[in-house]
Amino acid sequence: MKHLKAINNKAQLLSQAVADDSVEEVVAMSSLAGCTATTDPGWEIDAFGGVTSLCQPMEADLYGCADPCWWPAQVPDMMNTYPDWNKDAMNSKEDWRNLGTVFPNDKK
Amino acid sequence: MDNKRLTSLIPAAALVLGTALSGTVLAKGPALKEGNEYMIVANYPNNMHVIDLQTDSLYKSCDLPDAFGPGVTQMAPDGKTAYILNNRYEDIYGINLDNCDITFHAKMSLQKNERTKSIFSFALSPDGSELYAVQNPTMLNRDHYRVQPARLAVYDTGSGLDAKPVRTFPSPRQVTVMQTGADGTLYMAGADIYKVDVNTGEVGVAIPSRNWERPLYAPPDVLNAWPIQAPSKDFTILYTTAKFQDESYNLDAADWIYGFMNINLETGETETTDFGPITEIYFSGVRSPKDPNLVFGVLNRLAKYDIEKKELIAAAELDHSYYCVAINHDGSKIYLGGTFNDVAIYDADSMEKLGNIQLPGGDMAISTSQVFIR
Repeated sequence: MKHLKAINNKAQLLSQAVADDSVEEVVAMSSLAGCTATTDPGWEIDAFGGVTSLCQPMEADLYGCADPCWWPAQVPDMMNTYPDWNKDAMNSKEDWRNLGTVFPNDKK
Repeated sequence: MDNKRLTSLIPAAALVLGTALSGTVLAKGPALKEGNEYMIVANYPNNMHVIDLQTDSLYKSCDLPDAFGPGVTQMAPDGKTAYILNNRYEDIYGINLDNCDITFHAKMSLQKNERTKSIFSFALSPDGSELYAVQNPTMLNRDHYRVQPARLAVYDTGSGLDAKPVRTFPSPRQVTVMQTGADGTLYMAGADIYKVDVNTGEVGVAIPSRNWERPLYAPPDVLNAWPIQAPSKDFTILYTTAKFQDESYNLDAADWIYGFMNINLETGETETTDFGPITEIYFSGVRSPKDPNLVFGVLNRLAKYDIEKKELIAAAELDHSYYCVAINHDGSKIYLGGTFNDVAIYDADSMEKLGNIQLPGGDMAISTSQVFIR
């Protein structure tokens, strides 16, 4: 880690975990649950390194990933942080143009 | 407010009232018919739909309170009360499908500043008198959040609209879907498939998952968000894994395998069974009530496997991805739900498409569809 400098909150927490020697408390999940499975393949690439097992079309997978905070980097976390992200797009197939991007607030 | 403005508002008020009334009347719809087979699905903005499986058409729709999500459902054994985890994973509601009345409501956060979510994890006792939920509380302090231990909360389903747990026990973390056996044992899918005594809170392992010991097998990868109440009374959990050729553990030469962990909810019998090579991804699977040697999986295709031969025997191309598979009680038709707002119907034998049912409202997203007989 000596060549990497943490610049956001999550990265600083990772650095801190290494410093505190608490990395062993983290275990890999074989059964997935919200907001944590961010390294699982599935949005950019499928489990085979291709795209045919990605959801088709991608809109079909939007709220299934946003509701449970599955990939909070790729899709807004509607479970806690952006609950109204799709208030103008109940039907993603028809209304996807009403979905915007979201930006986290800087911590004061 | 002057009279002129008041008068001008009256028609608008009458219109709003009229809309609300007709909406309510429509939402109540007809009662379910004894002996008929139905399917429930939930979707945005917050509806529960009942589909009549005699005619494969929409039978009625109930409006639900609060916010949608995830829309995970469980049907009570009375074939009348549907339970749904909603309001962004924080509340469980019971709905009388005959009249759309809310008969049960548990707000899972129990104290001030507590935010409690359940990650798809609730189930009903075999007689429907108790509801079990694994809850993940977080204390939202002003300056920091503090994750609390996970708990198993037991509710009396007769507790009405302000239901509080009648018992709570410590629970393993990372629990997702759950089902109960005929003897009342609660099975919870987490790092392992646990079996829980709901009276003492004692947790054992029904099927090892993360901790399985299968020589030459890699640990399984499990996706588990749909607690399907299968007509075959199986609690079926799909996994993917790799099987190495020998103890050199060469990943390049390994076989990549689909399989399921299964609990027969009638007998408690468990199995861990590979059913074929991985050629594509399935989000959910269900065993046939007609032929226990058949298992169906769905995401971008609907696939049917011969379990004994470990062979893909048929597959149907789909119009779009569907997350959640359901099968009717005689095993003749497959119903695909989740993602968008249509249910696709397939013949389980020929795998030919039989049609679609369009739902009012928006996406079903990650909700669970359940087939049941009233």
